[in-house]
Amino acid sequence: MNQQIRELIHVHKSTITDEWMKEVEKFREDDYLQSISDTVYQNTNREFVDMLFNTVGQEGEDVKETISNYTDRLIQLGWPLNYIIRGMQEFRKVAVESLIRNDDQTRDIEFYQEVEDWVDEVVNILVGHYSGSWENTVFLQKMALKELSAPLIPVFDNISVMPLIGTIDTERAKQIMENLLTGVIEHRSQVVLIDITGVPVVDTMVAHHIIQASEAVRLVGAKCILVGIRPEIAQTIVNLGIDLGKFPTKSSLKKGIESALEMTSHQIVEIEE
Amino acid sequence: MRIPILKLHDYLLISVQVDLDDQTALQFQEDVLNKIHQEGSRGVVIDLTSVDMIDSFIAKVLGDVVDMSNLMGARVVLTGIQPAVAITLIDMGIVLEEVPTALDLEQGLDRLQQELEG
Repeated sequence: MNQQIRELIHVHKSTITDEWMKEVEKFREDDYLQSISDTVYQNTNREFVDMLFNTVGQEGEDVKETISNYTDRLIQLGWPLNYIIRGMQEFRKVAVESLIRNDDQTRDIEFYQEVEDWVDEVVNILVGHYSGSWENTVFLQKMALKELSAPLIPVFDNISVMPLIGTIDTERAKQIMENLLTGVIEHRSQVVLIDITGVPVVDTMVAHHIIQASEAVRLVGAKCILVGIRPEIAQTIVNLGIDLGKFPTKSSLKKGIESALEMTSHQIVEIEE
Repeated sequence: MRIPILKLHDYLLISVQVDLDDQTALQFQEDVLNKIHQEGSRGVVIDLTSVDMIDSFIAKVLGDVVDMSNLMGARVVLTGIQPAVAITLIDMGIVLEEVPTALDLEQGLDRLQQELEG
């Protein structure tokens, strides 16, 4: 940015700030922004605009750093990105209006371009940071989901249970199968109960994944029982024409465990007092 | 390269310790059938614990061995199929239906006993 424009911007700093504050007040409609107090709102806006003016005097990496630091704070406070971006758009308008004087068109165009470049750079960094933080959140949640995904729990000698909760997609199905097979080997299970009580919808794809998993379990040398089939799931399965005839199914985990014990020649007996 | 076939009373024990190629697999098929004929065995356990890779041809050969042995009156149990192998087989759509499987040699022998008694 050339020296002349820098100086001009600094001269007009207070008018731009006041104009801008007036403009942004008009679209303070977000729930979050409504809920915070006016003083905090005003202060943050002022800080934001000060930060913008600070970047005027800086070059390259410095600009990036100033904005990055400030953006991190905004993200932490939970300021919505659309508000910030609208703020930047207003800022451009206000800044251009107060700088242009209409007597020298080439100079005005130059001003306009300089301001444009400056605002664009700030917007790019802002958006980059915001989307980065979202991606990060999504990533963390994905990891958390993965950890909760599919545990195999040994309940008796040679009997394990895998409770499935939540929607099953292809990626998760793959993980379920891996956990199931390694778990079977590790715990030396002969019977595995797959409990789908917590699976909200069983469509052809989910059924396909479950069938594949149980086929694979059979190949490594154990048996699969599908338990926790709720009435509505039984209805969908039959209506969709899914053939689950090849492996045993039970309505509840309790019944599943009973028949698993039977398969491994165990039974639960009451102790006579 | 030939795969050793051990005789234990009425059973044959086979531990496959190398990744099978097509030639070895066919040789293996022939050897097993000859051995069943020779010894009059009633059961065969094929242990695949050390096999990391099974392609569709090998899977077919194994399936054939099971069917052929059944024809000759010997029940076959496959044991120790690794998770990775199981996943590959399922992905290729090979389910080895009707082939009894077991977790390891010990359970395989139990399974065989059950099959023969039942």
